[in-house]
Amino acid sequence: MLPIVSITLFLPLVGAACIMVLRKAPASVVHGIGIATGALTLAGAVWMWSRGVLPAGFSQVEQIGWMPAIGAAYRVGVDGISLPLVLLTALLFLLTFIFSAKVKERPHAYVVLMLLLETASIGTFTALDALLFYVFFEISLVSMYFMIAGWGHEDRQRAALMFFLYTLLGSLPLLLAILGLYLGSDPHTFDMRVWIASPPLTGTAAMLALVAMLFTFAVKIPLFPLHTWLPAAHVEAPAAGSVILAGVMLKFGAYGLIRFALQMTPEAFRHAAVIILVFGVVSALYGAFAALAQTDLKRLIAYTSVNHMGYVVVGVAIAALATDPAVRALALDGSVLQMISHGLVTGALFFLVGMLQDRAHTREMARFGGLLKVMPILGWSFILAAFASLGLPGLAHFPAEFQIFLATLRVEPAAIVVILGIVVTAGLYLRAIGQVFLGEPREQWKGLTDLNARELLTLVPLLVLIVGVGVAPAWVLDVIHTTTATLHF
Amino acid sequence: MTSMAHDLSFLIPEILVLLTGAGTLVCEMLRRPRTALAVAVAGLLLATALTLPLLGVDTSVFSGTFRIDTLSIWAKLILLPATVLSLLLARAELHGGDREGTVYSLLCFTTFGALVLAGSGDTMFLVLGVLLSGLGAFALVAYPRNDAATEAAMKFFVFASVTGGVMIFGLTYWFGATGSTLLGDLGGLDKAPLAAAVGLIAVIVGLGYKASLVPFHFWAPDAYEGAPLSVAAYLSVVPKIGAIFALVQVVRDLPVSGGWPFLLAVVSVLTMTFGYLAALVQDNVVRLLAYSSIAQAGYFLLGVVAVGVSPLALPALIVFAAAYAAMNLGAFSVTLRTGRTLDAFAGLGRGNPVVGVAMVLFLLSLTGIPPLAGFVGKFLLFGAAIDAHFTWLTVVAILNSVLSLAVYLRIVVPMYRRRSEAAAPMPTHLPWNRAVWVVALIATLAIGLGAQALIGRLA
Repeated sequence: MLPIVSITLFLPLVGAACIMVLRKAPASVVHGIGIATGALTLAGAVWMWSRGVLPAGFSQVEQIGWMPAIGAAYRVGVDGISLPLVLLTALLFLLTFIFSAKVKERPHAYVVLMLLLETASIGTFTALDALLFYVFFEISLVSMYFMIAGWGHEDRQRAALMFFLYTLLGSLPLLLAILGLYLGSDPHTFDMRVWIASPPLTGTAAMLALVAMLFTFAVKIPLFPLHTWLPAAHVEAPAAGSVILAGVMLKFGAYGLIRFALQMTPEAFRHAAVIILVFGVVSALYGAFAALAQTDLKRLIAYTSVNHMGYVVVGVAIAALATDPAVRALALDGSVLQMISHGLVTGALFFLVGMLQDRAHTREMARFGGLLKVMPILGWSFILAAFASLGLPGLAHFPAEFQIFLATLRVEPAAIVVILGIVVTAGLYLRAIGQVFLGEPREQWKGLTDLNARELLTLVPLLVLIVGVGVAPAWVLDVIHTTTATLHF
Repeated sequence: MTSMAHDLSFLIPEILVLLTGAGTLVCEMLRRPRTALAVAVAGLLLATALTLPLLGVDTSVFSGTFRIDTLSIWAKLILLPATVLSLLLARAELHGGDREGTVYSLLCFTTFGALVLAGSGDTMFLVLGVLLSGLGAFALVAYPRNDAATEAAMKFFVFASVTGGVMIFGLTYWFGATGSTLLGDLGGLDKAPLAAAVGLIAVIVGLGYKASLVPFHFWAPDAYEGAPLSVAAYLSVVPKIGAIFALVQVVRDLPVSGGWPFLLAVVSVLTMTFGYLAALVQDNVVRLLAYSSIAQAGYFLLGVVAVGVSPLALPALIVFAAAYAAMNLGAFSVTLRTGRTLDAFAGLGRGNPVVGVAMVLFLLSLTGIPPLAGFVGKFLLFGAAIDAHFTWLTVVAILNSVLSLAVYLRIVVPMYRRRSEAAAPMPTHLPWNRAVWVVALIATLAIGLGAQALIGRLA
């Protein structure tokens, strides 16, 4: 059988190599290679999707030896949790390449970095070897650092440095936990499947490993109070960088929370689940209220990410607390679907803010007004995405959040206060829409043009999927549920 | 007689290094620096090749005083190629200068000293190794014959004399307590805790100076700054690794009851933390790299404390030594072509993307970012330390890795700034220098991705 996971994983690197060879090629060719590679990678991801997943364990596993002496190997594969994330990653990267075709500043380095980041992202979701996971996880940090430092806005050096230091500080405890799990496994191995099948650590050691992992993933998700790097990084990152950061890289944290923390130290996770739940609830509410206080449109969306990812954490904690397997699956289904929805919705919102900023060179909401009349397509797209973000039924976030809240009510009814977040986000989005798009347009914005074909091409797939997942979530949920229904921990 | 011949047959690489040094000196006497370089490079490469058949041997020669084991064999496989790269760096920097060939022969002799250290099976070999690798190093530092170099060499020499004296004094206690100079007899020290402690401290002083461990590091930044850059690169790699390996040879036989692992762990924490904190405030790239190499010595100690307890310790030390040699020589090589100040690095990444990427990879590897060589080395070191129940030390090392990122980004950030008009022009053609960083880059990537080739042979 064709090793389609590995092919999808390394296709972006092949594209990057092509660009490095063609150092004299003009910008259009470079962007063309980027788009073509992104499209092929998406095709690979769709192919993986069509092969589907088995109910238990991992499917489409491919492995070769790497460092057999210490039990590390190149092992990749997918299950119902990672496969939708791979598809989301491939889609968002392709759209990012299309959107970025306007970049004229050092296009070679830009596209190469983005392709490197794509391999790192897909690798993080498909790795079944802890060492390999860590390698991809760190490469994604490095490429994102150079992305922000090289193509960001005004204060990019400081923001990039903060991002890199913060997330490196965040990721190193994971290394410690991985070493602990490695030394706890007998015979020593980095095979994540072995660690999941029989968790190597127990008691205090497991709890310490869990704390280390929680720290790493809490920075990445990001969970209050470790979220402070996020607004700074988003504000300074280029629009494409923001899309990837929010749409893909935040999912590393949530994915790690399930894959590592929940599956590899299940006993300790159950003991700590109430605390994790509290952090999730506080984070979701904090994100909503902090977003309410923002005047910069991009910062606002960045903070709603803290809110939405808080729901994911709530869902995972509820799954750990649940004793009924059906409720457990319900909570996890909601959490994983929430990741996908957040990727689609926040991706669309960051693209839209980027398009707005390209035209108006500002993101201060108070300076806009009446843009719906000037740019109806951009305006209505924003309104659709914003409604999806606040959880309107029929749009992507609704089925996910509904399942999380339902499971919460069944397991820990007190935690349902988190639903207040929905009310707050509804208020803040309505205010943002009112300020930016409604009313009479100001004189200075009357010359703005609406979306062009390239931008539409970027946006339409996301909007279609937002509605698609909202109206008929079953096609994603079925894949997710195949795995979550059989998880035992 | 046959036993003598048998012993010598295991020492062919060392003997060849010595002969190479002598041959290089003869070429210099004939005023043929190019030939001297060729002889030195060829001799060391041949010695490397002749070491390969020894892989897997574990024995000792001359009644146990010199060890032919995994550590000393890999020391040759790492230090000899590293010396070849240093020779090329020296050629790039000093060619056409006065007494050029003496540098090459001194490099060979100093490497011989480092190899003696790495294979020590006897306290007398420790002393011999420290002296052999020290004498050549003083002369190398003083080579430029200007005030800075002379002062640096003087400091270096005084420091070496004092620490060397302390070490010999302390070793007499071990001799007194065990009645033997063999390291293999150190097990007898568990009955003489005081003598064991005095000797241990003395050895840490003597080898710690050579490996630039805090608080015996003071000579290093001055010496690196005053010396030719190629010599600084060499000193930061070859004698340092020799001294660390010598330390391993010593502690391998020390009874753990003496508490040496804890003492070394404390030195490790001091070395890493002080090295990076000091590096954080340097504006001179050479001093920054000097403090960085001090800090990296602290990481080596993570492996040393696990010696004898964790099976990961030896592979970790060897892989990290190879990685460190490659990435550090690479970083020095790029510094040689760019300039000694942070300002000189401004715009390097924009003006010359390939060199820029190479430097970024060296620095990220020094930080320990996967999948580069430094990551694999540090990862194994962390594993060994945790395995030996030094989790707290690993946590400190991990925090220092974050600090190190801030240090190394101080070089990376200006590289992608626009180059100011006032900056000095980039130095032009430096023969061989490009070869050095290209080889170092390939090694940095290859050790990272193919560490199995090393680990597999060790495990």
